[in-house]
Amino acid sequence: VTRYVVRRLAQSAAVLAGVSILVFAVIHLVPGDPIRVALGTRFDQATYDALLERSGLDQPLVTQYFSWLGSAVRGDLGVSFRTGQPVTEVILERLPATASLAVAAILVALLIAVPLGTVSALRPRTVVDWFATVASQAGISVPDFWMGIMFILIFAGTLGWLPTGGYVGLTDDPVEWARRLIMPAVTIGVVSGSIMTRFVRSSVLEALGQEHVQAARAKGMRARDVLTWHVLRNALIPLVTVGGIQLAYLLSGVVVIEIVFRWPGLGQLALQAVQQRDYPVLQGAVLLFAVVFLVVNLVVDLLYARLDPRIAYT
Amino acid sequence: MAVAAASTALVLAACGGGEGVDVDGDAEPGTEAPESPEGGTLIAGISSQPDQLDPHVTTAYASFQILENVYDTLVAPDPEGTFEPSLAESWQTSDDGLTWTFTLREGVTFHDGSEFDSADVVYSLERMTGEESSVAWRFATVESIDAPDERTVEITLTDPTPNLLDNIGGYKGMSILPEGAAEDLDLTTEANGTGPFTLDSFSASGATLSAFADHWAGAPTVDGVEFQFTTESAAALTALRTGEIHWTDNVPPQDVQNLEGDQDVEVGIAPSIDYWYLALNQAQEPWDDVDARRGVAFGLDRESITEATQFGAATVNQTAIPADSFWGHDYAPYGYDPEQARELLDSAGVAEGQTLGIMVVTDTEGVQAAQVMQANLAEAGIEVEIQQEESATWLDRQGEGDFDAFMWSWIGNLDPFGFYHAQHVCDGTFNFQGYCNEEVDALLEQAAAETDQDARKALYDQAAEMIVDDASYIYLYNPDVVQAWVPGLSGYEVRPDRAINFEQVVLPE
Repeated sequence: VTRYVVRRLAQSAAVLAGVSILVFAVIHLVPGDPIRVALGTRFDQATYDALLERSGLDQPLVTQYFSWLGSAVRGDLGVSFRTGQPVTEVILERLPATASLAVAAILVALLIAVPLGTVSALRPRTVVDWFATVASQAGISVPDFWMGIMFILIFAGTLGWLPTGGYVGLTDDPVEWARRLIMPAVTIGVVSGSIMTRFVRSSVLEALGQEHVQAARAKGMRARDVLTWHVLRNALIPLVTVGGIQLAYLLSGVVVIEIVFRWPGLGQLALQAVQQRDYPVLQGAVLLFAVVFLVVNLVVDLLYARLDPRIAYT
Repeated sequence: MAVAAASTALVLAACGGGEGVDVDGDAEPGTEAPESPEGGTLIAGISSQPDQLDPHVTTAYASFQILENVYDTLVAPDPEGTFEPSLAESWQTSDDGLTWTFTLREGVTFHDGSEFDSADVVYSLERMTGEESSVAWRFATVESIDAPDERTVEITLTDPTPNLLDNIGGYKGMSILPEGAAEDLDLTTEANGTGPFTLDSFSASGATLSAFADHWAGAPTVDGVEFQFTTESAAALTALRTGEIHWTDNVPPQDVQNLEGDQDVEVGIAPSIDYWYLALNQAQEPWDDVDARRGVAFGLDRESITEATQFGAATVNQTAIPADSFWGHDYAPYGYDPEQARELLDSAGVAEGQTLGIMVVTDTEGVQAAQVMQANLAEAGIEVEIQQEESATWLDRQGEGDFDAFMWSWIGNLDPFGFYHAQHVCDGTFNFQGYCNEEVDALLEQAAAETDQDARKALYDQAAEMIVDDASYIYLYNPDVVQAWVPGLSGYEVRPDRAINFEQVVLPE
């Protein structure tokens, strides 16, 4: 397994290099000049030329890339054009907010998807199944920002149970952290959970039809034990795959939900970086997202082996 | 008003008590007077996130909403736009208008406790003229800045600059920092000013300010201000209704009418000094012809444009400066008249079906305005193509002159120099439309050096009429400033320049 992990990490490095080249090329090809944006209404040619030279943007793209790469491998992602702060600092500041939200949202999604998907698979073509299908279809179809605003109007406005938004650090005030996390996490969790419900349903159905399940039943094993040991365990593999992808996606920030709930996450950061053509921040953020995807995928693959002993990595 | 009066009474009562602290404990529960009868933390929801807090570098309005409360300038505009003493107590101009002498206020301290003197002013003004400064252009006529003694600063100019006070005090972009601040602090996230509040923290989730007890004009009434970034307006208004925030500027114009009857929200409206305009590319046919431009100016229904963009929360204006200002000038030659528009276009040789690309920034009111213009100008035989660009690309195209026309706004000008000069002189920094009229240049140059206010206004009025007649810009309207707060909040005033000052604010009981 260790050898497998090492090999995967080596592959990941190659993928990251590819991603960084691609991102570098794409963001420089997009029209819009970061210096002009930074100068805004105070544009004049002399200042412009001076800033251009200082930022290194007048160098050939290849030179720019290698100087960026050289610093990046040493952990220095450069300095934001917009704020002058180090990119690593800017990203690390927002990471806790995004991580809290992503993990909480996945938990909500699992709490919805596993029971709902299992129940509807166990009672296919009944009222329960029909309800689960309609509910998950609705969860996918309703726009998340609209659901978020409705939650705010109902739970913060009319009922006054929860704050309308904002983020408080877990270490600053755990209770407030949790209170503020509930609505955005549920909003995202409903959407992710609805998607995952359908995977759970189909994989549980598939597992139910397998021979060893029939055999276990024939042996006179209790229905609950059959479900736990033979059905759900097998159904977990596709769930881990989908859940992993969802988690990685959430860890790269959810712009709309962040805006609605005043959540200082990575999605808004990346969006602002695009709008402002803040190349260093954008580059750093995309690199982080790529790392997150690679790590989550690696963990998912390793989980497969734990869940299904027939899968072995060498 | 009643609330304001009551709180004044409380202040007096507290002062009347002198040093006395209530130690005998016989005050009835429920009627006890807290140490500071006002106090509390004001929570303000602002609609966008500041990029950084270096006053001399940032250009973001969101940054200045915070900085307004942290820093001071030498002079500062009152709500009507007239300059008043701030860190400078008084000033004198030499007869030739080339030397301005400022006498500084005594007994002013920075937030870190250090004394304010002329060295700080020289340091700050010099930093503003530096390469990284966003406000360097305001000091174009400044030759030198000297400090003959601790309480005096002398600014020497190359040319008379009657709008110098605006240049050095129009807004907090010209904040006074302590000498060496840029070396001692990370000014992008930290601050050390002389303003009514100290900056405690600044992060992606907000900014926290505390009352500065030693402020030269007296400590603020509240204990502190917390700024939150409420980008989504429905969420901002709900937060206001639930009392989570006390104040917000995130009030979409379409909500104003509904909110005016709402008991949970108080709405404040003031006409702003900002303006929206349309500029045609005069380096390009057929818009190099003045009649073609005038044709477009007659073809626009400003009332409908205002209704579509601001739901009426704006004032139609055919010049840049709002009527309320000292510098306002009532001149409106263009009535909405498609026939006259067509006649002028014909005389300029503009055929029916001529296309006109109007470049607007996505997600701004420019988009709605352009849609109305499209319908308006169709009647005069002009086919408008709406080109939506995000701001980065928009700015690129504007800078390169790659447009038929663009719609945009100017914000925050107080002096007519700011309204007209760089936009309309032949080689003006912001003259992207390519306007050049020697007569206008002469008037604007003369006005820029005229020290008599009335004579100066007459010159600007004359220049403004020519700019309007030549349709260098086709002026459309001044939007209103709309803000909202919880009922019972007092001591706050909505200002035409959108400066947000929480120094005197008193929270509801």
